[in-house]
Amino acid sequence: MITIPYITALTTYFSYGLLFAFGQLRDFFRKIFDWWSKSSLQGYAPICLGLEDFYVRRLYLRIQDCFNRPISSSPDAWFDLVERISNDNNKTLKRTTKVKRCLNLGSYNYLGFAAADEYCTPRAIETLKNFAPSSCSTRVDGGTTTLHVELEKCVANFLGKEAAIVFGMGYATNSAILPVLMGKGRLIISDSLNHNSIVNGARGSGATIRVFQHNTPSHLEKVLREQIAEGQPRTHRPWKKIMVVVEGIYSMEGELCQLPEIVAICKKYKAYVYLDEAHSIGAVGKTGRGVCELLGVDTADVDIMMGTFTKSFGSCGGYIAGSKELIQYLKYTCPAHLYATSISPPAAEQIISSIKVVNGEDGSSRGAQKLAKIRENSNFFRSELQKMGFEVLGDNDSPVMPIMLYNPAKIPAFSRECLKRNVAVVTVAFPATPLLLARARICISAAHSREDLLKALEVISEVGDMVGIKYFPAEPEKQQLEGDRVKLE
Amino acid sequence: MANLYVRAAPTTDLNRNTEWFTYPGVWSTYILILFFSWLMVLSVFACSPGMAWTVVHLFHFLVTYHFFHWKKGTPFAEDQGIYNRLTWWEQIDSGKQLTRNRKFLTVVPVVLYLIASHTTDYQHPMLFFNTLAVFVLVVAKFPHMHKVRIFGINADQ
Repeated sequence: MITIPYITALTTYFSYGLLFAFGQLRDFFRKIFDWWSKSSLQGYAPICLGLEDFYVRRLYLRIQDCFNRPISSSPDAWFDLVERISNDNNKTLKRTTKVKRCLNLGSYNYLGFAAADEYCTPRAIETLKNFAPSSCSTRVDGGTTTLHVELEKCVANFLGKEAAIVFGMGYATNSAILPVLMGKGRLIISDSLNHNSIVNGARGSGATIRVFQHNTPSHLEKVLREQIAEGQPRTHRPWKKIMVVVEGIYSMEGELCQLPEIVAICKKYKAYVYLDEAHSIGAVGKTGRGVCELLGVDTADVDIMMGTFTKSFGSCGGYIAGSKELIQYLKYTCPAHLYATSISPPAAEQIISSIKVVNGEDGSSRGAQKLAKIRENSNFFRSELQKMGFEVLGDNDSPVMPIMLYNPAKIPAFSRECLKRNVAVVTVAFPATPLLLARARICISAAHSREDLLKALEVISEVGDMVGIKYFPAEPEKQQLEGDRVKLE
Repeated sequence: MANLYVRAAPTTDLNRNTEWFTYPGVWSTYILILFFSWLMVLSVFACSPGMAWTVVHLFHFLVTYHFFHWKKGTPFAEDQGIYNRLTWWEQIDSGKQLTRNRKFLTVVPVVLYLIASHTTDYQHPMLFFNTLAVFVLVVAKFPHMHKVRIFGINADQ
């Protein structure tokens, strides 16, 4: 539930209307100029159809300098941002040789493994020397090394499932697994705010897709009952399989899934549960086992657990964990296993080492410290932002916190002003979020120290006042009563 | 007044091109834009209020016909072109007919027509153009006209 001031909604629609009108006007004049100058490609069909790239050309390119910023160091708590300049009003950007040291509030570096780590990095370099940077083969041909076998066992143990299978890319995991598991005559019920990889995998599978209102178990029950009663679209035969796809932490909202209720409903109606823990594995839960541990759901109740290694483990790749029969089936049929290159050996070693650190098997308590730090950092940052009057989404304990901006002009304003003060934030707008709800998304890491967070809060508060995004009334400061009396105004 | 908050719950519409119309504040913005454009036409052209309403009505007809019933597809490429054969009117509410949004959008041109004709005292030639405009707009919004292309106008290859 997002609470918007009514005037802000009206001004946001008006701003987008104005931007749209100016974009159309410019397109109209561009069409006239192009009609005058003959192009060399006579008789060829146009690459872009009509207004398909209107948004990119007329809205995104104007504020292009806020996105895709190149960095020249590892994405730790502080990193080096390469400065870019533009000579033609942001249509093209050129990299300069100047580099700026900025506070990183945008990387998915939840446990701080993105930078060199004292346990993981030597082992990864060792593996780089023994094996090679790439396995140069698919899993079935020659790409299964001892590391891959150990990694799969490690992941399965970490999650408390029977077996696991790993892939080289997290996005490809979702888009290659869903077509294998589901097909025609089957039903996928997915949350309305699911990630693009799930949407594309579901569309590619050929199954019927129904969407339920975000994180609303009652609506899920309604959709399930309706679909089971109606059956397949025209023949009304019963569905061959029904799968409900939800995410652990929704990356644009920072909200936790209402997993216990959803699992209870799926058990009642005998539907499978597919949980995508891309942002929650390793970041939430007392020992980092994700949203199941945090909300007290038994992992045996979740049929398919998917996740990625990019966020908390500082590597790349994705995994699926489930029963032995399921993983065996996937190894025979999944195209990402049969045809795609297997996960790179140093990346696999990084995951194994980081899981060992999180479990405490490296002999120190750094894992538990990191988990406690990220929980403490997230709760502190979120409560401070809310006290200042910002509208921050997300539940407690979630390291992802979007700050609502709404108006399209505030997106580049917030981003550029924060950059001037050496804080790098990620802003997200239409079409990744709904039109009205543009936001700046902050990802907190265990590598952020208390001073870093205080500096970030100071900068965000100053920029927030300048840009005007403190939509809620700020809480008054508590009066200090130590020694000197409180001055009466 | 500045502290009037509304709640926005995410919808189940996956089409980003049309789901913005389900959020609060859209209807008010639409009506306010029409009212302010009437004031602007009055101040720029210094004509009678009736002529200004006629100008607003006809301009509204041109703009809404072009964007709701002529242009097809979505202004971004992330949806891989699954809506490329549908106009915006055919896309909203996932193709369901006679929803609240569709009824509102059908009533607005009719109300504008009534205001324009009343303030010009039903004189020709304004009445003719106004009637033609509202006729075209309302017929284009009928449920039976869903995905219909008369004489192949605006159809795909």
